[in-house]
Amino acid sequence: MLTWLLHKWTGLWLLLIALGGISLFLYGFFPLKYHSGKLSHKDDLPNFIEGVSIDGHEVYNSGENSVVLMVIDGLRYDFATEEYMPYTGQLLKNKSACIYVSVAEPPTVTMPRIKSPERKKEKAQWRRTINFWRDIFAMMTGSVSTFADVALNFGAPAVRGDSVLRVAHAKGCHSVLYGDDTWLRLFPGLWSEHDGTTSFFVTDYTEVDNNVTRHLDTILTPKDNKKAKFDFLVLHYLGLDHIGHLEGAKSPKIKPKLIEMDDIVKKIYTAMQKWDNTGVLIICGDHGMRDAGGHGGASAAEVLVPLVVVKSGGFECPHASGPGPTVAQVDVAPTIAWLLNAPIPGDSTGNILPALMPADIRQHLYLLHVIAAHNAKQGLPTDTEFFKQFKRAESNFARYLSTGQESAAKIAKEFYQESLQEMSKYLTATTTDFDMFSLGLATVLLYLVMVALLFVTLYSLQPDNQRKISVTDQHKTNLGSVVAFAIIFAISGTVLTIGCFITETKSQFCSFNPLWSIAFTLTAFVVTVAYFIIKSGMEKTRDLSPLRELNAIDYLLVIGTLFHTWSFFGTSFIEEEHMTWYFFWNTLMFFVLVRTIVVVVMYFSKRYWGATEVQDKPELQSRMSAVGIGIVPKWVLLIALHRYLRTMNQTGDRWLFLPDTADWLNAPENSFYLQAHLVVGTLLTLAICLWNVRYMNNYMKIHSVLTILATVCILCYRITTDALTTPFDAIKTWDNILIVDVFWWILNAQTIFEIITYIGAFKACGYQLPSSNKFVYSKPKEKSEDYFYDDMEEPWNVDEVKLNLVRSLSHIMYNHMMLIIILLMRPHNVIMVPSIYVTCAMTSKCLDHKLLDSRPGRNTEVADTLGLALVHIWIGAVFYFYQGNSNSLASVDLGSGYVGLGAYSPLRVAARMGLHAYAAPALSGAALFCARAAQADTLPRYLNSVWRVTNIMALQRVYQLSTYCVIAFIFRHHLFVWSVFSPKLLYDFVATVFAVQALTTIAEINILTHIVSWISRSITYKRLS
Amino acid sequence: MFSLNNLELRKVTISSLLSCIYLPSIVTVISYRGILYSVGKGSSFYILVLIFIAELAKSFYLSSNNDIQSKRSRNKMRASDIVKTFGFLLGVMFCFFVGIILFGAPVLDNHEGTLVLSTLLTLLTIFPLVAHSGVETAVQLLFGVKSFSKDTIVAMLVNNALLTVGGAWLGAVVIPLDWNTPWQQWPIPCYLGAIGGYVLANVMTVLKVTMMSAANKYKFLNFFVNIMNKLHVSK
Repeated sequence: MLTWLLHKWTGLWLLLIALGGISLFLYGFFPLKYHSGKLSHKDDLPNFIEGVSIDGHEVYNSGENSVVLMVIDGLRYDFATEEYMPYTGQLLKNKSACIYVSVAEPPTVTMPRIKSPERKKEKAQWRRTINFWRDIFAMMTGSVSTFADVALNFGAPAVRGDSVLRVAHAKGCHSVLYGDDTWLRLFPGLWSEHDGTTSFFVTDYTEVDNNVTRHLDTILTPKDNKKAKFDFLVLHYLGLDHIGHLEGAKSPKIKPKLIEMDDIVKKIYTAMQKWDNTGVLIICGDHGMRDAGGHGGASAAEVLVPLVVVKSGGFECPHASGPGPTVAQVDVAPTIAWLLNAPIPGDSTGNILPALMPADIRQHLYLLHVIAAHNAKQGLPTDTEFFKQFKRAESNFARYLSTGQESAAKIAKEFYQESLQEMSKYLTATTTDFDMFSLGLATVLLYLVMVALLFVTLYSLQPDNQRKISVTDQHKTNLGSVVAFAIIFAISGTVLTIGCFITETKSQFCSFNPLWSIAFTLTAFVVTVAYFIIKSGMEKTRDLSPLRELNAIDYLLVIGTLFHTWSFFGTSFIEEEHMTWYFFWNTLMFFVLVRTIVVVVMYFSKRYWGATEVQDKPELQSRMSAVGIGIVPKWVLLIALHRYLRTMNQTGDRWLFLPDTADWLNAPENSFYLQAHLVVGTLLTLAICLWNVRYMNNYMKIHSVLTILATVCILCYRITTDALTTPFDAIKTWDNILIVDVFWWILNAQTIFEIITYIGAFKACGYQLPSSNKFVYSKPKEKSEDYFYDDMEEPWNVDEVKLNLVRSLSHIMYNHMMLIIILLMRPHNVIMVPSIYVTCAMTSKCLDHKLLDSRPGRNTEVADTLGLALVHIWIGAVFYFYQGNSNSLASVDLGSGYVGLGAYSPLRVAARMGLHAYAAPALSGAALFCARAAQADTLPRYLNSVWRVTNIMALQRVYQLSTYCVIAFIFRHHLFVWSVFSPKLLYDFVATVFAVQALTTIAEINILTHIVSWISRSITYKRLS
Repeated sequence: MFSLNNLELRKVTISSLLSCIYLPSIVTVISYRGILYSVGKGSSFYILVLIFIAELAKSFYLSSNNDIQSKRSRNKMRASDIVKTFGFLLGVMFCFFVGIILFGAPVLDNHEGTLVLSTLLTLLTIFPLVAHSGVETAVQLLFGVKSFSKDTIVAMLVNNALLTVGGAWLGAVVIPLDWNTPWQQWPIPCYLGAIGGYVLANVMTVLKVTMMSAANKYKFLNFFVNIMNKLHVSK
């Protein structure tokens, strides 16, 4: 098992396991039911009840109806009374209308703080759409939306599955919308007529409603044949909600607003009486409001909304007067679908409102049967009581149909109702249930992996000589460890199985079907592996003395990294995570500033006040000459640069609406400055790339030319997308997809060229190598005496050449990454790429322990590695937020996914979007690994430091992940679970995926080096011998 | 405590006690008058003046009858020295101002608040040092060129300065929280944080001296004194 500890990529494997763990966690966290997206047809209506035939189409027919759905945003239950809405109250009193208590789905997430400039409008609109989603989704599809619905519909918030509007559209109904344009976005193309008002300006509460009401007169006047002009009309009034947001539920403006709404009800009701066909008016709120005016909680005032049903033509409410029975929001969908003579939407779980149920007993029973059968089709377990009840009801219904017994009908009705009640309870429960077993198991797993990684990291941080394998270790038999492994594996498997049975969980994880059994076995395997790694890590980690070299800045880095994760216990610290990072980063920069000033001032004071002391302290002299006096002003300039970059993109939630530099730059009158940013950013990146070319082999000219060509491609791409003006108009007409393709080819060519020159293929072709080839094998001049290998390979400088190759490949990767990222970035963000390089370079220089610590002659390699790894993680995080990312799904830049793509291809789009979003962590990580390669003097040293860095990065990632999983677990019933905690969970998941990807790239570079080195050696030796 | 025979230590203690009294009193009074949240505005300038006077008085106390030599040098202080000191303080204030903006204060607006904060920081950190030991020595002390031993006036002043800056720094933590309270306005948390840090430093000094004097009787208290000594940030 020690070999696992010694293995250089154990960290990466453990990270991969953690990825599995977080996947399990996500599986348990996001409610189990996913919407099937099944579309329903009228032919689905059952024509046989237990063999007794019935004409489904004919019985289902509800007559000719025109339905008006009047949604009053923020209408809470106590508003629909005679006090506030006299006419409606009157209708309710004389039983011409029915009122229900409708339960909205909590949490109905708060509206973002609005008042934003143009560019932010889109972002905020999108957020609002998601928030809106749940209520409208429930009313129109008849099913409770899950977070997965939102996440899976990423970027296109339209409802993909079945809905009332879809079935109505399929039937050719005339659907009309007046009101919030979110409806148009959710159900595009399904409206025959619409006028969407933007709900954007919360300060406006008269105009939004007038925009809806102004169409009423035209739409309500009947057609020539005295029938209504429409089949389905949606009116969405926002004014009430806006008043609530502005002034609260006790505002004096509420009452006039409700009177206005009441007048509209009156208008519609009187108009309905004039039609030949039946008119049905459904008035409801989508959510309530707190007394303070907001909404977003699960309190009664926010969740309970009235649902008033009015029908023309001698309708009388069957319920006793009073508050009315309780119904669910999802009941609206099947009701409307039935009224429109359309089939019930595919995923609906609601019932038809009892007041509208037909009096005809045959039709009544048939409708109950349709709904129950519809529910039963959605994967209800057949061994439950309510399913048996449904079957009993069905047989009674069949008996009624064949014999006409009234008693059978009565029994059937009762059974149907009982069964339906239980069914909807069950269906709602399954949509909102967490899979507790998976959650708990995943968290435990992640913690195990975290501890294992901790020991792997600590082990790797030991000084080299401690890691010598003792003789006894080598003599241990393999058989013993195999048996030990098998025993622990069996134990963990048994414990898991017993856990499954003891908790009596319904989790799929314990279902023991073949697919899940694999996951089950893997989990047991992982537990075993983690156990052995922890065990041998505990035994073998003896000497952590290098950690004593940590200075104040290292402690700041370690404590800051540890603390940052725990800050997620506050929702605002998740929403404003950038603030935490900015604070840490500022602290770090402040510390470094003070220390560099102290070093410089000390040097000068010693120099001027006591000239001899400089000679006494040569190490001070050497420290100074390493960085030069310029470090202080440079560092101050860096602070200023960071201050500027911070203003570039407002992010987070609270101050999102504030104008930022990006807004200013994107204004048309400032396009010159925007282009200046773009050009300066691109050219600086080019300069950095050219500077990095020195690590590649001696065909520098070719590398430089290729790099310049790639940059030209980028500039041309910018010109074709109108981000850059140019005197050469011809370029504008070029195809930008072609340009990007050329760009890719250049990058590929560069890599392949490097590898081929390494192998020495050009020499074989007779091309003369310049003398300074880095990839030339030579025998080292002095051979140590005690060199006892007689293997002929060893005397050659294989390791040195390998190190050169690793350096070269790392820098090629870094260069390419920078070039790709400036291609993907928004014009104003291009400047980030060189900034990251500069920051990484200067920070690495200033964090050097030799510069800052006055004690000379210590081995600070480990402390340096630790500090640098952490500081690069910090730089990545800070720039991640500078770039405008946040922990809200709305900040994902979808546009970057389509750069240079002709056709949609999910994988490529996802890769581009991912690289764009995680550009900063990727670049800073790459800079770190390049620096490791460039600074290492021998190959083992390089491998060692890469080993340490990999472990530290993996540890940080898994630490954050496991802690966050605990937090998400604790807060799973929190108000903001869908708006704050879940997106962050997704972000963490994606970050882990990319961390795995990034570390794999480094591993690939190493493997590639070994392979290429092997190939070239076999070629070179052949030629030499 | 009054068994302290070390004159300097006694001075340190008394001046720390004074700070522990006068700053909380100011804060209490203004919070009772309901204007605590206006400390970031220019209208609260009189608080700064009060602090200035108090610090000046304290520095006179600290430097008084120290020994004959310093007395002589103080008598020799001329107008040019005062001008130089003020120039230096203005420079420090400007540095604070720029520094605070660099570390995240609003760039284009609310300069008033930033200015008030930087004045307060100057008054609580650099001013006592300069008033006590003069410009040159203060600079040398700041950059660690000149070292100082523990339990001296200078050590106390440097410690105060460090904790004051630390307090202001920590005050910024509450700004992003979504509590929407009036005291989350820039620069109130940092302002109060700075005062809090300063008071804390003084409380710690008093506590330490108390422990030290009591440690003569109860030896185990030395343990706490050692901890306190460790806590004092050293360069």
